[in-house]
Amino acid sequence: MNHICDHLGEALDSPKCIAIKNHLNECGSCQKYFSSVENTVKFYKLYDVKLPSEAHNRLMDFLGLKEE
Amino acid sequence: MNENELIESARKGDRKALSDIVKKYEQTIYNFAFKICRDKDKAEHTMQETFLSMIKSLDQFSGKSKLSTWLYTIVSNHCLMMARSAKGKYYTSFDDDEAVINEKEISDWKITPEHLLENNELKELLDKAIQKLPPDYRIVFMLRDVEGLSTEETGKITELSVPAVKSRLHRARAFLRNELNKSLSYV
Repeated sequence: MNHICDHLGEALDSPKCIAIKNHLNECGSCQKYFSSVENTVKFYKLYDVKLPSEAHNRLMDFLGLKEE
Repeated sequence: MNENELIESARKGDRKALSDIVKKYEQTIYNFAFKICRDKDKAEHTMQETFLSMIKSLDQFSGKSKLSTWLYTIVSNHCLMMARSAKGKYYTSFDDDEAVINEKEISDWKITPEHLLENNELKELLDKAIQKLPPDYRIVFMLRDVEGLSTEETGKITELSVPAVKSRLHRARAFLRNELNKSLSYV
């Protein structure tokens, strides 16, 4: 809800946002749609890659910061 | 030493302080670069260039913004430059609203985010979907939604107005959602 209201430039307790919130509470299609948008964001948030130790070593070497 | 003290020491030539700054942010920068480039070699190259730029211009860092914001700016600019120089790359056009809004197909999804880690097919799907998104939209989505920066910070980094950030974010979310929906929906 925060994102929707923010996008509209409305406060959370504004009549427009309250109307949207009420609609979301009752509309199954909208609930599914927003849940899939939320999951889209979560998928990309969870998809992390770890810096390999070789890449760390190459970075320090590249920057001239390799420890003697 | 706190971050400002580290920066101050690094400016004075303290190699240990500089090394500590790099170590503090290397994972974040590598991860963010990968999320934009979707390629480990390009992510590593971007990370190296980002820290090199940081070292070269550390004297110009005013301290008015966070160091992380400054680093995100360097990565974003570098990724945009690489994308612009990549010839023949096709990105989805957002001139046609039909390409973005597809609310006719609404259903539950077969897979939830908890399944991501053990599912390489899903990771490929995520990579393919985001690679269709123009890099400037991709950067806004990554900064705002994935890295959790504010709309204002995202606008500052990308040199976009707040309404432009909101508009790109909305389109990027809708596009990615529709792309994933094609494979993950029960319909």
